[in-house]
Amino acid sequence: MDWVPVILAFSVLGVIGLVFGVVLSLADKKLKVETDPRIGQVREVLGGANCGACGFAGCDAFAEAVVEGKARPNGCPAANAEAIGAILGISVEQGEKMVARVICQGHNGVATERYQYDGYKSCATAAGVAGGPKACRFACIGLGDCEKVCAFGAISMENGIAKIDENRCVACGNCVDKCPRNVIRITPADAKVIVLCRNSDSGRVARAACMKACIACQRCVKTCKYGAIAVENGFARIDPEKCTRCGECAKVCPCGCIVDYSVVTPREA
Amino acid sequence: MHHQHEGKLPTRNIPIRDFVSDTVCIPMGMHLGAPSKPCVNKGDLVKLGQVIGEPVGGLGLPVHASVSGEVVAVEERQLLGAAPGMCVVIRNDFADEWVEGIQGYGNVETVDPAVVIPAIKAAGICGMGGASFPTHVKLSIPEGKTCDTIILNGAECETFLTADFRLMLECPGKIVDGLRAVMRALNVKRGVIAIEDNKPEAIETMRKAASGREGVEIAIMRTKYPQGGEKQLIKAVTGREVPSGKLPIEVHTIVMNVGTAAAVADAVIDGRPLIDRITTVTGCVQRPANLRLRIGTIIGDVIGECGGFSEEPGKIVFGGGMTGLCVPDTDVPMTKANNGIVVYNVKDARSVDESPCIRCGRCVEACPIGLDPYRIKHYCDKGDLEAAKQHHVLDCILCGCCSYNCPARRWLTASFKNTKDAIALEARRKK
Repeated sequence: MDWVPVILAFSVLGVIGLVFGVVLSLADKKLKVETDPRIGQVREVLGGANCGACGFAGCDAFAEAVVEGKARPNGCPAANAEAIGAILGISVEQGEKMVARVICQGHNGVATERYQYDGYKSCATAAGVAGGPKACRFACIGLGDCEKVCAFGAISMENGIAKIDENRCVACGNCVDKCPRNVIRITPADAKVIVLCRNSDSGRVARAACMKACIACQRCVKTCKYGAIAVENGFARIDPEKCTRCGECAKVCPCGCIVDYSVVTPREA
Repeated sequence: MHHQHEGKLPTRNIPIRDFVSDTVCIPMGMHLGAPSKPCVNKGDLVKLGQVIGEPVGGLGLPVHASVSGEVVAVEERQLLGAAPGMCVVIRNDFADEWVEGIQGYGNVETVDPAVVIPAIKAAGICGMGGASFPTHVKLSIPEGKTCDTIILNGAECETFLTADFRLMLECPGKIVDGLRAVMRALNVKRGVIAIEDNKPEAIETMRKAASGREGVEIAIMRTKYPQGGEKQLIKAVTGREVPSGKLPIEVHTIVMNVGTAAAVADAVIDGRPLIDRITTVTGCVQRPANLRLRIGTIIGDVIGECGGFSEEPGKIVFGGGMTGLCVPDTDVPMTKANNGIVVYNVKDARSVDESPCIRCGRCVEACPIGLDPYRIKHYCDKGDLEAAKQHHVLDCILCGCCSYNCPARRWLTASFKNTKDAIALEARRKK
């Protein structure tokens, strides 16, 4: 066997490789772009779901902006702001923990059904078919448009309405934008006592539509010692600033539409 | 595509008959555009043809009382749309006394062309084939555009419906009069009445009625859904293709439904406002029929008139089988654009669960526009509006052929409608 061509091929390729290697290593030294190593470190701490809650195009863009001082270090609701502060060498206060909450308790069997929906599984479509399958036009439709856009897997459909896992929710607000009924609200996580209804119809109509609808009876308003509850547009609303989370209103609500999360967990509600 | 299942047989040979119920509920938002503003109050006595809703905005149309009697309610009711709509409910006194001041212009061949379009607007006429676009707006040709052909759509390709077919058989003169009135108003020399070849009797009758009328011709179309789609019809009749995202006037054409033409004839000749329309009632009812119904007739009454349900109803649809809208209950009123009521039994109404796309390409073959439905559906499911737009989801006419043909029973048309709505919403938000 003639070994010469084999050795020749090896040595030619070897020399070419060596030359390119030297050129590339020189280019790497010469043309190096200085990047702040902190950008990578900050990026590591972020959620990585590119949810857009910070207002930037994605996690990479946010990390860069934070290091350059163009974004608030506590702008990412999914990340630990203190960890970002430690990387940057500054003290950062974690923003108030917010969560998305479904302002509706219209489960199957609780909310009156107007018709049986058997079409395309999309809340937007169902909402357009004669006002939706539930008699209440403010109710969660429960076909999961929000579940599809949640990048954190925090939303599931249970018994005809959306359930949000508060431990997973980072309040990015994508579900809020998607909901055709506007039934999801971003609320402070420690606002433990909330009115889970926003039906603005008259009490009679609201009650006919759902057993857990707010009928604007004002009992909660009268019970609250701190003036934290107001009935506007036909439903009650609790001001989380004034509310002391005493839970007295939840005890007197005749429709069970005020829920005290310090007594019941969101799962049971 | 599937004319063998068109379902027109039960009502095809049944003559139109009148039905007037004792209460009507007239919605204010029957046309495309802002709903009209009610101008009567509870307790008022109204006469036939009296204006009860005043037009609002550029696409506004007046609404007229379709019966005489007492207004018993002016209230919001849940109709077919997402939000409740304002309605005027009138209890019929069966006097059928016309309001004073109804004045026509007589023969369409001698009428002053300038009065035609105002008469159409005053009569509250909108497209009666289903889209309910205000007719006077359609006939107002924008600056710089010209029209040389008016096509009357008598294709009635939609399944189950025979309302236009019966109208062509029974009132052919009115249809031709309406067409001539519009041709004279716009100074158009060519008017074509397009009819599918599964309606030979209608072709014969219309041909007789059109003979001797200036510029009116009959075009025979192949029976093929969606032959009656506006853009498909223009292509079939004139050979011109409407560019993507443009209106038919771009190719110098206007398309109107035959029912609209008949309403135009009434408005111009007698000054009669649009108070009734012909509707096919078919499916699981005891006696399927073609009825001339007053606008606002409650469909429960209509089904009663047809002998009630023949089987347990699973779904009631306004319009035809391919593009119709489901109704939630039998309290919903008739609108100007509603050409059919189809009742399905429980078995036929049931949807089959969606399964994954098997890439058979039948939707691509079926699409009359030439889109790739399977691919657009992928982007719609992902929520990628930009990509869906790039694949021309906005050109989809929502005919339903792809969904009908899909062996995996995927919700193609429904998701395209969703995406089109989402794109429109986003455009509105950006403004």
